[in-house]
Amino acid sequence: MKENAPFFVGYLKIPAKLHGFLIKVSVIIFASFVAGAFLAGASQDDPGKAGFRFDFGRQKLKGVLEANPYPLLHVISGSDRIDAGQTIMLTAQGKSGIMTDTNALNGRVVEATGVIVRRGDLDMLQVLPGQRGIKPTNEASILPASEPLGRWRLQGEICDGKCLAGAMQPGRGLAHKACANLCLLGDIPPVFVSSKPVEGEEFLMVGGADGGMLPRELYHFVGQFVEIEANVERRGDLLVVLVEAENVKVIK
Amino acid sequence: MNEAEAVFLFVKIWSAVGTVIALVFLTVGIDRIDEDARGAYVFRLLLIPGILFLWPLVIWRWMILETGRDRWLNRHKPPREAHFWVAVLFAVAIPAIMLLGLSQRQQWPSEFEPQQLSVEQGEIQ
Repeated sequence: MKENAPFFVGYLKIPAKLHGFLIKVSVIIFASFVAGAFLAGASQDDPGKAGFRFDFGRQKLKGVLEANPYPLLHVISGSDRIDAGQTIMLTAQGKSGIMTDTNALNGRVVEATGVIVRRGDLDMLQVLPGQRGIKPTNEASILPASEPLGRWRLQGEICDGKCLAGAMQPGRGLAHKACANLCLLGDIPPVFVSSKPVEGEEFLMVGGADGGMLPRELYHFVGQFVEIEANVERRGDLLVVLVEAENVKVIK
Repeated sequence: MNEAEAVFLFVKIWSAVGTVIALVFLTVGIDRIDEDARGAYVFRLLLIPGILFLWPLVIWRWMILETGRDRWLNRHKPPREAHFWVAVLFAVAIPAIMLLGLSQRQQWPSEFEPQQLSVEQGEIQ
């Protein structure tokens, strides 16, 4: 270093010779951050309007619970926001699905209390913990029969239903893959977003080909755009696609 | 086994080993290497999550302290000689990773029409 060269010390007065240099560096760094933030934001797709609807208030629904592949409620007595006849997916708080033993309640009438997460016509009810969230009743019921819709080839993305419905923004895509897989590990219902509507539905709940939960092999494909060949069923007004890992491939 | 299943298996094995290490370290090891911990028990529960994640580091430090090879002055000396090259590496790697990610980005299949292959539920391949 030259003798008498100006030297910057943060807590001392700035040497006059360094003013110009520091201003230029500050402007360049600031502009770089603004440009970087803009480019990162502009390269992302618009997540759309979705989210928790705390403004709707706590919803109390009564319906028939279907346990598999993930807990569903076939609503028989709705609220001002959820109509009777609607089929709604159920989840719990955080990255957890329903903790209650839903298999024991399969086909029974229950009262479900919670908050709606909504994206377009995709609804999910985040229920309260324990019996405050899912409370069995003694009413008799018949579980609505599922209607087979045949075998389909679809393109789209497997997401976790809760983040997709608006619990996170954005709640899909490759950058969201790890979060989505953690949600799925917590037994939150997965949802397939189709490139175009299937029988009028853009969102389909996903289960395994055996009628159970999403197989672990399929976690590999979450957050990527994939093509699947699978059977589709209608459960109430919700479509369910039953997928096997061998029939899923990533779109190039 | 695909990548996701490999990650699950890795996490399971890592956590299982971490649980054993946590059990042994918190019941036997910590008393041997940290005299301040002797007779104190409740705080040990708080260490469990950290040990589950960092158990190789715990074993390494335990070995060093147990065998009396600890040189605490050296341990706290910052690795300054590496700073320049780490800074260069980050400056190159971060934009490169971002550009690679953007170049490999998939296109949403907006034109693809769902195809009904059969009205019957198909056989699983």
